[in-house]
This record gives sequence, structure tokens and C-alpha cells, in this order.
Amino acid sequence: MIELTDITYTYPHTVQPALHRVSLSLEKGRCVMVTGPSGAGKTSLCLAASGILYHEYGGKKEGSTVIDGKDVAEYTTLSDLAQNVGVVFDDPEAQMIFTTVEEEILSALEHRGLSAAVIEERLEGIMKTTYLEKLRDRSPHHLSGGQKQRVALAATLALGNDILILDEPTSELDEHATKRIADILSDLKQQGKTILLVEHKYHHFKDIVDTLVILEAGVITTIGLPEQVLENERIRAMVLPDFSTIRKAVPAPSTDGPIISVQDLRYFYGDVEALSGISLTIRRGEFVAIVGENGSGKTTLVKHFNRLLTPTSGDVIINGKNTRDCSIATLAHDVGLVFQNPDHMFFADTVRDEIAYGVHNLGIEKSDEVIDAALREAGLSESGELYPRWLSRGERQRLAIACVVAMQPGVIVLDEPTTGLDGNEARMVIEMLKDLQEKGHTILIITHNREIAQHCADRVILMENGKIVSDTGGA
Amino acid sequence: MNMAEILQYVHKDAFLHRLHPYTKIFFIILVSLMAIITTSIPFLLLMVFAMLMFAAYGELLRESLQQLKLILVMSIIFILITVITMPGGEILGYVIPAGIPFIGGFIPITSGGLMIGVVLTLRFMILIFAFQLFLISTQPRDIVHALEKIRLPIDYILMFIIALRFIPTLQIEGQRIHEAQLARGFNPGSGITGKVRSVAPIVIPLVSNALLRSNVLGLTIDMRGYRTGKRTHVRERVFLSRDYAVMTILTVSGCGFIALFISQMV
Repeated sequence: MIELTDITYTYPHTVQPALHRVSLSLEKGRCVMVTGPSGAGKTSLCLAASGILYHEYGGKKEGSTVIDGKDVAEYTTLSDLAQNVGVVFDDPEAQMIFTTVEEEILSALEHRGLSAAVIEERLEGIMKTTYLEKLRDRSPHHLSGGQKQRVALAATLALGNDILILDEPTSELDEHATKRIADILSDLKQQGKTILLVEHKYHHFKDIVDTLVILEAGVITTIGLPEQVLENERIRAMVLPDFSTIRKAVPAPSTDGPIISVQDLRYFYGDVEALSGISLTIRRGEFVAIVGENGSGKTTLVKHFNRLLTPTSGDVIINGKNTRDCSIATLAHDVGLVFQNPDHMFFADTVRDEIAYGVHNLGIEKSDEVIDAALREAGLSESGELYPRWLSRGERQRLAIACVVAMQPGVIVLDEPTTGLDGNEARMVIEMLKDLQEKGHTILIITHNREIAQHCADRVILMENGKIVSDTGGA
Repeated sequence: MNMAEILQYVHKDAFLHRLHPYTKIFFIILVSLMAIITTSIPFLLLMVFAMLMFAAYGELLRESLQQLKLILVMSIIFILITVITMPGGEILGYVIPAGIPFIGGFIPITSGGLMIGVVLTLRFMILIFAFQLFLISTQPRDIVHALEKIRLPIDYILMFIIALRFIPTLQIEGQRIHEAQLARGFNPGSGITGKVRSVAPIVIPLVSNALLRSNVLGLTIDMRGYRTGKRTHVRERVFLSRDYAVMTILTVSGCGFIALFISQMV
């Protein structure tokens, strides 16, 4: 269905090709999964395979692309390509244009030259297969990131094309929701759809993947049957990371007073109770993982630690200080918070300046030494003078952590620090956190990754509907 | 969360929702013209009242009243500007009371300036209510259909829809960025230079992310075929008796307004 031959592509104003001599063949009814480090060119490959690169992007292009038996040049416009290829992009927010879920899917159906009756029938079918029936009248602002990803997929399915190209369709999903997407794709494959999937979570999709492609620095380094590809140690570590070897012997948490103490915390967003009576103590030097499905209140809880949110009732005590009596700026000395999307913080011209921002805000002395140390810890010593947004996702994530580490807070809280990273990159992040724990920091991570929670954290807290339902492994 | 819903469609099955988009567009045009032409404060007040009645009947009163804060801020600005720039009539007092030595007694508040300010405020109030009622009671899909039918180019229509759709997205994203920077000890700064400098950590990420997003958004629009122009009309809104009824009422009130206007009563 798609035949890429010797594709070399260089984006405008850059020197290094994003794709180098990439050849890939997608046969009808097959599922090809592409994985690799962030910044390896996976999104560029999606654009190339869908023909978008040819029609919409400047830069230097070589090689040939054949889609559904026709050379890409024979398609006149993107709308023409859209008759054959369905693409789900990686930013779910940008793929919801209308104001309810149903409207979004209906609008996609309306442009296929179908009769009104068929459209209504298909609409119901898609609602069912993507489990969106209950969310029918929701607006984009009342959907979680994961739900939006499902809507983006549904609207693309509505087009009814035989070729589907999916760019990290589960990046914001928890385990349960990812499994749902895997089930949907499995059904689609059985219906004879051809699927090109860019993903990091191979283990969820292993039943449907026919060919596994490893893309590194714009080059396909390995391609073949998944079992064969995974025989290679190095690739196995990237695709199926083993976090069980990461645990380090760390001195037991100190016995003096707790560094974080939460007492019967309740929090309401308007009328909705997001946290209903949380009590929790965390000791200095602990490594805690907070797990739970999307919307269970994990992020809401950690935002209380530096007073981005103030309790509706109950108290949060950090280092003996009630957060009600402290400003966000003072708490920044005690608690550092690394948000899910690193791109929400970068604004400086260089990586160094980015780290310096927080350091100067807090008036930390010997700032140059502190910044150097943070760069080293993040493995970014060589990149100090680069523009932050040019870094790969993995590097940006480590930079975001470095920005917070340099501010020397006792507690470091990270919201989904391994999103969008491959196995090696995720491991690097976790190793960085383990080192920080060894140096005496208290680490809290919110994660969907069960492996990481089990193998790296000393204590796992499970949240459901604004409550802690289990708390295991703690001292 | 309410902040996030400025001018966003509210899903309901109420009177205004059930009207045909054309009926509502006719309503906006008529109401705007009436509000712009008249200078009679009692008449404008009557119109504001009518707007709120409309909103209440369409179960959208809460949404309309949420605009009052914006309207209040606007009215203060309008009245200040007209008082300063358009003096006329008798002097009612001074912005800086006459009792204060040296600087007192400046900037007179005149009845004329005040009147114009009030008229402007009421006009804008009516326009805001009318547009808001239209936008929150009409699905963007129906707006696209309606505007496409009167032969507006689809690209312009999509631009309009998207501009509205992404107001809350930008707002939420701005909030997230603000929180991320607060966690890094972001200090809003004092003085003018401080204020200007403190804008960068918020605005730069916001704009960079929005530009990236607009790229994906553009590709999505193309790849879903929204720009092909051919369309099967599903669940198309048809003109029903209630539309004819509302159109008739609007036309009659329009004629009534013209009569009143000619007889110089409004």
C-alpha cells in the first residue's frame, strides 16, 4: 500500500537530513511499528509515508513514495491524499476543531460523499468501536488528553481509509486506555486496514505488529520480524526496557520528622471534588511513585506541595511549614515541580540560560557552579549553548529536570517524566532521579508505567477518584 | 473552569438552540442595527432587558450574566474616555474634586460626556449579548453550513471557527505555563521594565507552542477533507414554524423601530 524507496529528506534551514535513505514497504493488511529515540525522525517518517512531506514541506527531498499504487506526485493536493490515507498526529488538542465529540466525527464523515443514512450508521459504529458513546456531547475542554487522543483516532477512522498512519497515539494514555487502543487497532487490522504505527509501548502492541522498524538518527538501523529484531541486546533495551536492574541500595529514609505531611486534604474544582480526604506522610530521602488512572487526582495532589493549589480543607505541611502560610516563591526552595510537558517552561535562548532562570530567581549563590553541576547530572554538558527547543524530547525532559534540580529543592516532584521517551531515554531519566535520591533528595514521580513504579520506587501510592486506595512498600 | 468557556458552544436542547442559524443571524443584524442607530437610553435599556429575557428563555441566562464583569470594565473605560474627550452640557462635578488645592477642579464631568459614555456602554452590552447568544447556542458545524450556503469561502469560515475554538485552549495553556514558571520562582517584577521582562517566560512558550500546534491543525483540516467543499448534508437545520414565528416578530419589531425612529421617539 505504501512503498518508500531511498527517502532522504532535509528540512529547510537545516544541514543534517531528518531521514537518510529510508526504504520501507507497507503491505496491505499489515501493521508496521516504528520505534526509536526521540528526535530520530519518526514524525518525519509519518509525514513522508502519508505524502504530506512531499506536498506540504519545503527542503531537500530525494527518493520515491508510492501510495496505493500511485506516485505521490500524482496526487494533486492533500485533500486528494486524504481520500486514501488517514493520519493521526501526535498533538491531540490540535485535532479537535469542533465543539463536541460527535460533531468532530460527523464533520469528518460528511466529506466522504456518503448518503446521510450511511453517515449516521457509520457514526454509531465508530462511537462504539472507540468507546466514545458516553462522551458524545463533551466539549474538548472537558476531555482528558487520553480521551482527545481517542477522538482524534475516531475522526480519522471516520474517513474510512484503508491506510492508517498513527504518530504516538497513546502517549498520554494510562495502561488501561492504551490497551483499549491496542484492541481497536487489532480489530482494524482484522478488517484489513494497513497500519503504520509510531509507538514506544511495544509490549501493548506485540500481538498485532508484523514488522518492527528501529529508526535512529534518521536511519533505519534494523527492520524485520519483531522476535528477530529483539534478539539484539541493545535494541531490546530500547524497546523493552528492563527497569528491574536499576534499583540502588540507598540509605534508609531518615527518621526525623516528615518532609511532607498531608492531613485530610480535600480539594474542589468548582463543585467537583478532586481530592477527598488525603492523608499522607513522606520522609526525607524516599522515592515515591504515585500511580492511578487519568483523572484520579494525582496532579491535583502534587500541585498542593508548592501551593499552586491551596487546600479547600485540610493541611499540607512541607518541612514543618503549613503551605497556607507560605508563598509559592518561598516553597520553590523546598519543592521543585517538573511538569509533564517540558515545552511549557522553555523560553530562554540557550540551555544554560534556561537553567539560570530558576537559580537567579531564588538568589542561589555560586550560580555558575550550580548550573554546571545540573548540566552534568542531566548529561547535557555539551549542549549548554544550544537553543532548548532544538533538543530531542528526551533531552528536553532532562533539561526540565535540570532546571528544577539547580534550584536545589529538597523534594523533587515529576509529573510523567518518561512520556514520549524510548526505553533508553526513560532509563536515563530514572537513573538521574536515582542519583538525586542518593544525594539526599526526596523524589516523587507520577507515572503510568507499572514497571518503573515497581522497580524504581521504594513506595507506590495508588490513587482512585481522589482517594489513596493503597500505599505499599513504605518504611 | 468557567473562565475557559468564553464564547464556546454550550450543548443544550433549548429554544435558541433549536432555531435555524439564519434566524439567529437575522436577529444579530437587526439588534445590532437598532442598537447602533438609536441614542435613546430608555430604549437601549429596554433592549438590554429584552436580551436577558431571550437568554433566560433559551436557558442561557447564566452564560450571559458571566459577561457582566467584562462589560463593567468596558463601561468604566468608555465613560472615562467620553467624559474626558467629549465634554458638553452642564458640569456635574470634577474627576479630581475641586476641594483639593492646586490640582483640584480639573477634568469636568459633564452631562453630555456622561450620556455618550452610557449610550456606548449600553450599545456594546447589547452587541455582546447578541453575539454571545448566537455563538453559544449554535454548533460550529451549523455555522459552517450556514455561512457556506451564503457562499463565504470555506477557508475564511474555518478561520473564524478556529479562532473561537482556541481561545480557551490558549487560556488553559497560558495557565499551565504560568504555573510551571511559578514553580521556578517566577517573579512578576515591579515597575514597567520589570513587568515587560516578566512577560517573556509566559509569552514565548505560549507562542512557540501555538505555532507548532497550528501546523498540526492545518494538516488535520486538510487530511480530514474539510476544505474539499463537497459535503453530504446530515441533520441539516431546516426552517421550522418557530423560525418563521421568530422572523415575523423580529420583522415587526424592526418596522416598529423604524416608525419610532422616524417619529423621533427613539
